[in-house]
Amino acid sequence: MSGNLAERGLAGPHARTKRQVAALQAALAAEQAASYGYGIVGAHLTGTRFAAAFADSIAHQRARDSLTAMIMARGGQPRPAAPAYRMPIAVHTAAQARSLAIVLERQVTAAYLGVVALSEPALRRFGADQMRSAAVRSARWGARAQAFPGLPASSLRRR
Amino acid sequence: MRGQVRAEPTRRLMFAAAGACSLALAGCKGITVLGARPKTGADVIALERAITAEELMIARYRLALAALPAGQHHAGGTGKSKSGGTDRAVVAALLGEHREHLAQLRGRLILPPRLATASPRPTPTPSAAPAERRRILAELAAAEAAASDRLIGWLAEVPPALAQLMASIAAAEAAHVVYLGFGRLAP
Repeated sequence: MSGNLAERGLAGPHARTKRQVAALQAALAAEQAASYGYGIVGAHLTGTRFAAAFADSIAHQRARDSLTAMIMARGGQPRPAAPAYRMPIAVHTAAQARSLAIVLERQVTAAYLGVVALSEPALRRFGADQMRSAAVRSARWGARAQAFPGLPASSLRRR
Repeated sequence: MRGQVRAEPTRRLMFAAAGACSLALAGCKGITVLGARPKTGADVIALERAITAEELMIARYRLALAALPAGQHHAGGTGKSKSGGTDRAVVAALLGEHREHLAQLRGRLILPPRLATASPRPTPTPSAAPAERRRILAELAAAEAAASDRLIGWLAEVPPALAQLMASIAAAEAAHVVYLGFGRLAP
């Protein structure tokens, strides 16, 4: 048993670990979808754009592997990826491929919010780093600037 | 401890208490009658730092906007011509995002009005701005990257909802580096 979890938590260590695993699973699902989606993105691009899509898909696979390891380290069972994912955009052109990349990155950014809300500093930091990387990739694909990447509008306070 | 009944103060209340504490520091003597001053929480300090960082960033952007050439041939023109005008549009848009960041961060901190205006205000002089546009943009980009790193460094100190806001702002700032022309894919 990890004693320090029990010390720090308001709830028991079991509830805390369960919360962590649930948040990590949500991020994992988004990374799995992104890894799949980037295959479609790359298929419609050439040259430096293809290379960028390839690099980004590697980044998502790495994140997916890290999440898998984090879930297993907490006694969880990483949910397997689906054999195929329905993409939010039909992709037939390079421009649509870029749009899909942007949508995938936005979904990933939002999916890490739950990880950022965890109290364990290492997990919170990991989540924040991933949100940042996804926002940067999204900007590189030509997304319009967003003041609050990942955050639902409802979470923002009206002035 | 078990058996100890302790009301859980709301986040806003805690910030208000911290505000009262700063007020005491600012010269309100009567507070000692009430007992020991509450210590400013690490979360409030992190939030105050984040607010100051945004204020600084806004000052930088305003400076940059003032220093960027509006047009290549006639300064003070419509700002439409070539790269100068485009840069100004990008910088103005990003400045707008920083103002939104500041508003959201301030919304999480409840302080007496006097204190809210007493926060350190950067007063850089316009002459300090570099002349050429590329350097202006590069300096903004470097400031964005540093601010993004700092925000992420403060995350451990704050409650979950504020951590999400700060992580999102850190992500926006990192993306600003791209919008400033560093690391964008060829069109």
